[in-house]
Amino acid sequence: MRLRPRKLRTRLTLSYVCVLAALLVLAWGGTCVLLFWELRSQLDNFAVQEIETVEGLFFLTPGGQLQLREDYHNHPESKEVIERYLEVLSPDGAVLFRNDRLGNGRLGGMPFPGEGVGGYSERSLRLSDGTRVRAVSRLHYLDGRPLLIRLAHSEEPLYSRLQKLLLASLVVLPVMLGIAWLTGYGLARRALLPIQQMARRAQEITPEKLHARLPNDDTDDELGQLARVFNATLGRLEEAFEQLRRFTSDASHELRTPLAMIRSVGEVGLQKDGTRAEYRDIVGSMLEEVNRLTSLVENLLTISRADSGHIQLQRTVVPVMALARESVGLFEILIEEKSQRAILEGDERLQIEGDRLVLRQALVNIVHNAVKYSPAGEAIAVRVKNGSGNRVSIEIQDNGPGIPAEDQAKVFDRFYRVDKARWRESGGAGLGLSIAKWAVEAHGGTIALSSEPNKGCTFRISLPGALPNSQAEIGA
Amino acid sequence: MLGTGQLRSRAFRAYKGSVQILVVEDEQKMAKALRDGLEADGYAVRVAYTGEEGFYLAQAQTFDLVILDVMLPGHDGFEILSTLRRRGIRTPVMMLTSKDAIEDRVRGLDSGADDYLVKPFAFPELLARIRVLFRRGKPDIAERLQLADLEIDPARRVVRRRGQSLDLTAREFELLQYLFLHKGRVVSREMLARDVWQETTRQTPLDNVIDVQMARLRRKIDGQFDPKLLHTVRGVGFVLQEEGGS
Repeated sequence: MRLRPRKLRTRLTLSYVCVLAALLVLAWGGTCVLLFWELRSQLDNFAVQEIETVEGLFFLTPGGQLQLREDYHNHPESKEVIERYLEVLSPDGAVLFRNDRLGNGRLGGMPFPGEGVGGYSERSLRLSDGTRVRAVSRLHYLDGRPLLIRLAHSEEPLYSRLQKLLLASLVVLPVMLGIAWLTGYGLARRALLPIQQMARRAQEITPEKLHARLPNDDTDDELGQLARVFNATLGRLEEAFEQLRRFTSDASHELRTPLAMIRSVGEVGLQKDGTRAEYRDIVGSMLEEVNRLTSLVENLLTISRADSGHIQLQRTVVPVMALARESVGLFEILIEEKSQRAILEGDERLQIEGDRLVLRQALVNIVHNAVKYSPAGEAIAVRVKNGSGNRVSIEIQDNGPGIPAEDQAKVFDRFYRVDKARWRESGGAGLGLSIAKWAVEAHGGTIALSSEPNKGCTFRISLPGALPNSQAEIGA
Repeated sequence: MLGTGQLRSRAFRAYKGSVQILVVEDEQKMAKALRDGLEADGYAVRVAYTGEEGFYLAQAQTFDLVILDVMLPGHDGFEILSTLRRRGIRTPVMMLTSKDAIEDRVRGLDSGADDYLVKPFAFPELLARIRVLFRRGKPDIAERLQLADLEIDPARRVVRRRGQSLDLTAREFELLQYLFLHKGRVVSREMLARDVWQETTRQTPLDNVIDVQMARLRRKIDGQFDPKLLHTVRGVGFVLQEEGGS
């Protein structure tokens, strides 16, 4: 069983009406209590006046009987006079006088200590017939005799007025709450209307329609903020989707190229009878493309694992110079072959904390790039420096043709190649630098390129340096 | 084409025809290629196309080696392997996996595989791995090796062609020694990258480096001599033998 209403606006209105009802009941109750006190104190005041009047009207008969002169009143038939209860006791409790209305009833029984002494004592009592009364007592001396005068009025009219008030509230409160419900519901509905609109619009957003945006993002209120945050998220999503789409299309293009070659070479080879050597050549040529496909697929796998965060870095302390030396050393023979020079300089003590293999991959890719694009006889320089804020920077500088300014931002993009036509001879599918960028960024580093046409390229990697206290680990 | 002169281990004496290999592979084409390739190399091959059949055969008959694909319908290769090992069958097993995941490698070796190979692999690599499995535990060739008039002496790190001492760099010597180890067989660039350059990842762009290194080695050992001994097999790799091709 569900006790919670499903709709937000119903819940809002319900809680609002509940609070209102509680407040109204509180206010109403407070009013009743105040009113009752007020009326009762009026009754008390009246009783006090009465007592003052009555005091003067008592007289003692010669037989010592206490009598009340009844002829004094301006309005003897006045309701208050008729309906009052009057009793006079001696301090020891003996009844000296009771008026007709009281008859044989008792007004409060034995006097309590201090009753009516030096003022008026008020209290609420219940008569033997059940009538609730308000009694005021006063100790009065008549000819030296102490008389405890008690005078009371019925409280029943007070209670009946209260009752009427309560009855009225039983009618008025639900009406008020009903009105509050209706207006509250309307208000909640109006306040939530933008959310409904947003929900409707959000429902229409699918991977194919990511360009849609939520409405109400131009307001400054909470909903506007929500819409803006949501729209920003959508923007990033759209960008990611677009990137993915481009990646898929680029990847399939890259895969298609070797496939097309394999196919053509195979089909053409089958068209005519060839010698054994010719067939070997054809198969060899096809296998070359297969190798290209294999390495492409492997790079794609690395990228997809990197994208999905599946590559866990095996962090150790890595001496940077050793890593650089190793990366350059790998291509030593190519450098020698092209009569290039490799310059390696930097502080041997610098080290970073990271996955040696992943970092090495990044360096190897960039150095390979530099060797590939530098003309014969030029120098390739790798410089390891201590950057500010405990960062280590690695600069790889070549003297190649450089990269035009408009292309510089794109060099780290997947499948990007400066010279589309030349890639097959130089090898690679334009993934090396994007893998390098990923590797560096996975270590909390940055990679940047500065280049001027005909002045070569400088790749600058900046990585957080290892803490000095990890020095001990290398020694181990 | 088999240069069997130096092969002395028991497994290699049994080499021609009597080494029994069980191939468990559900892809028909792949299975056929494996069978043809292994048979061409002198092994006796039995193929099982399902995991169940492979499991049954491996239990019922004695094989010298099981080549087991990981991705099999029904029970995968890991399951089959661990069940075999639980039943006390100690036949060497080489796993073929298409997942290049470290976890798979660990899992493969944990479940009792003797080696694993990631698909797509180069066939010469498979052959080389099989030879290594049979040779496991035996010392590497450390004595003088000879092919035609080319000799190397691994202990003294000396290379001679037609009696003339050749001046090789350390890397060139390692390369030549590796080629001698696989004499008469094609070695792929991947094998060279891993075994000679000690590259653990296949993504390192080493192809150019290997080609240049190989060209230099060829200049030194074949440059002014005949017959040519170091040959390039297009699309596959390199081979050290007397005639071109294979």
